[in-house]
Formats: sequence, C-alpha cells, structure tokens
Amino acid sequence: MPIGFRAFALAGTLFAATLPAFSGTLDDVRKRGNLVCGVSMGLLGFSEQKPDGSWTGFDVDFCRALAAVIFDDPKKVTFQPLSALDRFDALKAGKIDILSRNSTWTLDREAGLGLLFAGVNFYDGQGFMIRRDNRAVSALELNRTRVCVQAGTTNAQGASEFFSTNSITAELKTFPDGPSTLRGFETGECDVMTADNSGLFAERLRLARSSEAVILPDIVSKEPLGPVVRNDDVRWYTLVRWVNFALINAEELGVTSANVNEAKRSAKPDVRRFVGMDGTDLGPKLGVTADWAARAVAAVGNYGEIYERNVGSKSRLGIPRGLNQLWTEGGILYAPPIR
Amino acid sequence: MTPRRFLPCRSSCSGLPVTPRRGTGFFLAGLAVLALSGAAQGRQQAAPISMDIGDEPGRVATAEQIVEEGPFARQLVFFRSSEPAGTIVIHTSERFLYVVQGNNRALRYGIGVGREGFQWSGLVRVSRKAEWPDWTPPPEMIARQPYLPRFMAGGPGNPMGARALYLGSTVYRIHGTNQPETIGHAVSSGCFRLANGDVIDLFERIAVGAKVIIRHGASI
Repeated sequence: MPIGFRAFALAGTLFAATLPAFSGTLDDVRKRGNLVCGVSMGLLGFSEQKPDGSWTGFDVDFCRALAAVIFDDPKKVTFQPLSALDRFDALKAGKIDILSRNSTWTLDREAGLGLLFAGVNFYDGQGFMIRRDNRAVSALELNRTRVCVQAGTTNAQGASEFFSTNSITAELKTFPDGPSTLRGFETGECDVMTADNSGLFAERLRLARSSEAVILPDIVSKEPLGPVVRNDDVRWYTLVRWVNFALINAEELGVTSANVNEAKRSAKPDVRRFVGMDGTDLGPKLGVTADWAARAVAAVGNYGEIYERNVGSKSRLGIPRGLNQLWTEGGILYAPPIR
Repeated sequence: MTPRRFLPCRSSCSGLPVTPRRGTGFFLAGLAVLALSGAAQGRQQAAPISMDIGDEPGRVATAEQIVEEGPFARQLVFFRSSEPAGTIVIHTSERFLYVVQGNNRALRYGIGVGREGFQWSGLVRVSRKAEWPDWTPPPEMIARQPYLPRFMAGGPGNPMGARALYLGSTVYRIHGTNQPETIGHAVSSGCFRLANGDVIDLFERIAVGAKVIIRHGASI
C-alpha cells in the first residue's frame, strides 16, 4: 500500500473517531431536559431579568423559540448571564449550549475562536444622534459639529473613518464611559453622539427630554448580531440556524402566534410546509418534529412580533425596523425557504 | 401601551382657536345618552378590533396635536424602496405610513387603521385633498354606531380631522382624527388616521397624483 494512501486511511479513521457526528448537543440538551442559553448580564430590550427572576428580551426569546422546538415548552431554558469577556470561553468550555448575547459576527470569532454564527437576527451598526433643532437629515450633513463618543470602542475609529471618507470636518470628543458620553451630549458639549444604533435608542431614553433628540437613519458600520454555537457540532448548528430562518419566514408568510393553529388548515403550500402539515420529513431531518417551526412561533411569535415586543414599536426602545425589516418591506432580512 | 405625549405642533398649524383636551371626550349636549348606548353596541360588533372606540363627533380634542414621542412619532427611518420619492407606502399591520424620500430613507408616521383600512390593498393615487373635510358617515357605519350624525361639517370636532387625502375613486382616504390616542392601533372605523398635526404635515408634502401603495401583512 502506498504510503500516501495509508496516511489517508489513517486520517480517515481519526476523523471519524474525533467527530461526534450525529450526536452531541441536541442529545445532551434532551437528556438534561433543558437548554442552557448564554445571555448578556442585562441589556434593555435584549436580555433583562425581572425581579421574579424570569428573563425577557430579544436574545432571550431566541432561546425560548429553540427550547419550544426541542421540548414544545419555551420555559425549558436556563439563562446564564455572561460578561463580554467570558462569553466565548463559556461557550467553548461547554458551559452553555448556545450564546444569544448581542455578539457581532466576525471572521476572527469563527476562524480564530472555533465558533459558528448560526445567522444574523439583528443588523446593528454605528449611528448618530443629534438634537432636534439641528435639522440634519443625513450623517453627511454633520460637517463642523462636535461629536461625543465613548473611548476605547470601535465607534471612535468608525466615526473618524466615516468623516474622513466623506470630507467632513468634525471634532471628536472622547469620554471614558457611556454615562459621561451621554452627559456630554445632553449638556451641549457636543452636537452629536455616536454609538451603535441599538445603544443610541437605549441611551436616548435616559435623556431628561428624549423627544428633543433625533437618531438619524444612517448606519455607517456593520455589526451583525446573531446566535453562536461551537463549530464541532454541525447538526446542532444547522438546527439553530433554521430556527432563526423559521422565525423570519413566519413573518413573511403571515404566520403569527395568534394564527399558527389556524395556519394548519391553510391551503397555501408554503404555509402548510411551515407548520408541518406537508413536507413532514423536513423537521425530522433537523432532528426535531414535523411541527417544529409552528412550535417556535406559538411560543414567542414570528420575527416581527419578537422584534416589536422587545425593541420595536411595542417596547420603550422603539427602534424602527430599518435594516431588520423583511427584504420585501424595505429591509434586508432574507431567509432561505423551508422546503 | 408605549409612552406617548401629545404636544401642540410648532409650525404649519391652522391657527384655529382650539383647547387641547384629553380624556373621555366631549360630547355635544343631548347626544351624550345616545352616544353611550351607541358606543356599547359598536363594541359588541367590533370584537376582533384591538382598540374599540366609537367615533366621537363633536369631541374637540386635537386640532393641532402631533405624536411627539415614542415609536409613533414622525421620524426619518431607513427604508429601501424602488418607488420614487414622494410615494406613500402604508403598512397596515405595522400601523405606519411611509413617505419615500429616496436614498434608502422614508419619513414615517404612526397611524391608526380603521376597519375600512384593512379592506383593500394595492396601488392608488391621491385624487383630491381637502382641509377640514366634511363627514358623511356611510350607512354601514351608521348601522354600527346609530348615534352618528348623517352629515357633519368640517371643523375641529369632526372625526375626519384637519386634513384628508382621497385615494383614487375609492371611498378610502388618509385623514386626521379628533382621537390621537388611537394612533398605533386598529380602530373600529375609518381608513388611515394620523394625529391632526401630523396629517397637516403630510398634507403639505404630498401632491394630488402621488402614488399610494397600501400593504397588509401576508395572510395565511
């Protein structure tokens, strides 16, 4: 046997031995009887712990949807609050099954840390807040302004790059933390405050007169946020990925928490496949039941319901859908079809 | 309900002498008893509507008010569209009306959507504009709310509000309201209603002939 071939055969054996193909996280979660979900330690609209100990938020609801798919019970989740520093180590070490914690999808986090982002469920990015009397309608009109930004964030560099690319002369004023940055804006030390968009909406609520501040529609950087899993369990990754797609597809199809049972009597092929009346082999291919997607929507609603309830027009934050609107309705959310 | 504040708008107001008023409404004397029984009947018939509030002709509340705060306040938002600037896109399930500005943005207004507003979708054009429109409730509405007048001249207590944009040859229209608290909700009757200060703002931006696209969410 040529050496090359032997080496190949050996490598094949090793490969098969080290990859726990078709077993792993999903089985562990089932055996344990609950999902362990890493979330942030408290971020308005994304993950918040109420006084009674229960969790709410956009990131929280994603894990509830996943638990509903697996157990048909959105309550079978243990939430593990994690700091920005600890989050990826906790996932790598197997302390959590999934990280749903406003984390940006980057090359280094996948290739460098050995993780996989299962998709994007919130397109965030750097934005600008101005005072209402400023009258600017675009970030390109911020010439000759003073801009407050938190030191040590990507936003300081982002603002400076955006301004130089667009020949805008603006004076960047850095502050050590979030509250002092906001105070700089509120006291008039700056005309503009810049941060990631979701953060700006949260900060605006802290202003004494929040209606006097306007957040421009421009997003000038890419901060795609989404759920993260380890890269050693493709089956689990695929399930998480399709739960995200299912929530988006539900909105596009018009399937909501209110009509999901009625949807089982729909005549539309897309809807019938979604709720598992047709294409009953699709759910089992993911390792779950035929009605997996319907379970998720029954538990937490479709993407639009989750968004509006936690961070959108039914929440205090009131973040416009913007990029996070369906591709057919002015945004860029686009999920592959369930078939 | 999300926090919202209604304040007098700062510009483009009609200057009518109006006392801003909030609360249960102001009924013309003599109509009050009828109004109460009629409202009860309306409530029964409109069970699936989320904010069931009968029309309150004569209620002088909001001639110069805009939604000042919160998600339903007028604001510029990111909005990809291949429609030309000046096109109105109404998204009934979101309760928003967008005026396309080009360059991936739109001016967004919070709206209340009435029963009639859910009955038609597609493309129409603004066929007529009116200030302080008169109101002739259609027979179906009279059947639901028998206390309603058969005709009401335009003015501050008129449920049609400060301005109306008529849509094609249909009975549908974009109009103001004397019930600004209904913005952001589905309501018993009417089409697409904006707070009066907001409809005044919209009125000045939109010309007769402008495209209006009405969309509902997908249905199963």
